[in-house]
Amino acid sequence: MALRLNLYHEVIKAKALKRRDPLKISIYVLSAIAALCAGWYLFQLVNMHNLTADLKRVKGDYDKLEPLAKAAKKQEDALTQQGKLSVQLEKRMESRFYWAPVLAEIMQLVPREVQITRMGGDVTGDTIRRCTLTIDGLSAGTDPRKVAEDLRTSIADKFSVKYKNVTSTFKMLEDGTETVMLDGKQMSTATFAINVQLYTGDDKPAAPVRKKK
Amino acid sequence: MKDIQLGKEEIQKLVLGVLLFFGLIYSYFDLLLGPLSKHQDAVRLSIVALGPEIDSDKAQIARAKQMEKEALITQKTTRQVNAMIPEGSPVAWFPTHMTEFFKKQGIDKALTRMNGELPDKELPGYRKLVWGVDLPKVEFVPFAEAVSALENEEPLFEIAAMQIDASREDVEAQHALLTLNNIVRQ
Repeated sequence: MALRLNLYHEVIKAKALKRRDPLKISIYVLSAIAALCAGWYLFQLVNMHNLTADLKRVKGDYDKLEPLAKAAKKQEDALTQQGKLSVQLEKRMESRFYWAPVLAEIMQLVPREVQITRMGGDVTGDTIRRCTLTIDGLSAGTDPRKVAEDLRTSIADKFSVKYKNVTSTFKMLEDGTETVMLDGKQMSTATFAINVQLYTGDDKPAAPVRKKK
Repeated sequence: MKDIQLGKEEIQKLVLGVLLFFGLIYSYFDLLLGPLSKHQDAVRLSIVALGPEIDSDKAQIARAKQMEKEALITQKTTRQVNAMIPEGSPVAWFPTHMTEFFKKQGIDKALTRMNGELPDKELPGYRKLVWGVDLPKVEFVPFAEAVSALENEEPLFEIAAMQIDASREDVEAQHALLTLNNIVRQ
């Protein structure tokens, strides 16, 4: 076997050692890590920039819309108020108590044996309208009290069809001192005062206490 | 490969290097990436939070526009009511109006006076006036017809009370007194 001598072995070894220098390798590795970190940070910075731009755009939109929305809210409130007022006015007009039908019914109910001397009435309440009528008069006939009683019951019956919780009671019923000529005959009389209460409106009123007379 | 023999100084350098490395890593995450990440989260949250508010604002504007369109219909009554109320003080026009109305109904004499004013919180911009209308001589049937016409033609008037008395002197004639509530502008 031939003897081979490598006279440069020391130089080669030194070169190899230099190539595998841990400090150098560490510096490379660290530099790579540093580059990665820097890259990642830059990427995040770009992301952040985009997000900030988005936020600025969204905030710009919001700042532009907010005063408009506030004005719209004010306008909506005003319109709602006006709408409510309109509804309220309509309700007021529609929930009025109409006296003409009451007068028409009374005209039909009063028989020829009865003369109404005074009639009064008033309406109270907002949603439930309570109407109180007082009818004073003179009844004549063979049994004038019966005539007055018939009028009272007919008022209650007739008004019950149209109105709620109708009560018709005598406030006063007395024999009259005068006689009247009716159909060529002298008839005795009775004076009476009928109190009528009736309700109209949407809500159900409390049931009135019925008085017996 | 031959084992590397480290001297004391080299070991110190190595330890110092490792410490420096960890210090840098810590600084990187804690001083650079951490705050940046927190800031990003905050910005994302702000964007997300503004989203519903923008939607709500847009909906609000759309609702107001829609209401404005519908206002023509919803405020029809108010416009009609306003058109029915004459300009000027009610004391100036109401008694004349009533006299003319009853004259048209065949009742020559009607005396109207203001009895007062009723508060009405439900009708802002309007007030309710109470009037007394005295009809000294009326027949019942024309009176009932006049009441009917009044209730039909004047939706802003409401008869709150009435009193009809038979006259002793004239059997055919009655004395009527109406209490009217009237809605007028403030």
